[in-house]
Amino acid sequence: MTSSYLIFLLSGRLFGVRLIGAIEILPWRRSRPVPLSYSYVEGLIDYRGTIYPVFNLAQRLGVSKLEPIGFIAEPKERTTAGQSIILLEENGVPFGIIVDSVAKMTKLEEPASVPAKTTGIDPHYVKGTVYDDDQEIMILDFERLLHAG
Amino acid sequence: MDEGTRFLILSLGGETYALPITRLLEITVPRNIQKDAKLTELFEGKIEYRGALIPVLNIKKLFKLPGTPGSTLLVIKSGKGMLGLLVDAVTEILDSVQKPAPMPPGVVNPSYHYYSGVLRHKDNLVLLLNEDGLLS
Repeated sequence: MTSSYLIFLLSGRLFGVRLIGAIEILPWRRSRPVPLSYSYVEGLIDYRGTIYPVFNLAQRLGVSKLEPIGFIAEPKERTTAGQSIILLEENGVPFGIIVDSVAKMTKLEEPASVPAKTTGIDPHYVKGTVYDDDQEIMILDFERLLHAG
Repeated sequence: MDEGTRFLILSLGGETYALPITRLLEITVPRNIQKDAKLTELFEGKIEYRGALIPVLNIKKLFKLPGTPGSTLLVIKSGKGMLGLLVDAVTEILDSVQKPAPMPPGVVNPSYHYYSGVLRHKDNLVLLLNEDGLLS
C-alpha cells in the first residue's frame, strides 16, 4: 500500500511526512516569539485565519548543520535564507515546521520499522525509514514530536 | 461595552502584549521603589499605592528578555491582590470585538499560566497576559 509523502531536507538529511489533509509551504518568515515557550518553539504565525505554532524541527530532533571538524570556526549567525515553513496538521491540530528545503512529493510504501541505527536522531521520533532512489528517508512521528518532553 | 472587549496594548522588548483593561488601576512612572529582601529577584521591590505596599514585578526578567526594567509602571488587580508591572511602554487601548484565540497546544508548558490567549492586531499577533497567572 502506498501513501503520499512530502519529502524535505534538514541538515543534510531527508525526512518525510505523510500527507493527510491540507498542507501549505511558505518561505521562511519571522514568527511571533513567545517568552518561556519550549526551546524548540520558534513562535506563532497567523496564516489565513489560523494561528500556527512554528517548531524549529532541527533543534527538536537534535540535528544541526554539519560543521567542518578540526578547527574552531566563529559561531555563525543562524541563516534562514532559503528555508521554508511547512504548515501541516496532526490529529486536527495545526502546526508549522522549519525545513531547509522541500525536496518533493511522492508516493511511498509504508515505512519499514525503525532501524537500530538512526544516526543521532532519537528513534522515538521516527516512525520508520523508506528508500527512494536509494536514498534513506526518515518518516517522522509528529504525534510524538509535538508531545513535549 | 461588554467586559473583556477592551485591551491595554503594551510593549516589552519590542513585542506587543495585552491586558484586559478591566484589571488596570493606574499607569504611572515608577518611583520610590523600596527594596524588599523577602521578594524574589523577579521583583524590583515594593511601592506604596493608595496606602498599601504592592510588589513590583520586572516582567522582562520573568520572561527572560534582555534589557533594563521597563520605565512605565502599571498597577493592576490580579487574583492575588494588587500588582505592579514594569513595561517598556503603553501604546494604546484597543477596542476589540474579537475573542482571543487560545494559545496553541505544545507551545508552553501546561503548568505555566502566563498567557490567556492571542489577539490579532495590525498584522501582528499580540499575546494576552493572564494577570492571575503571572505569579504562578
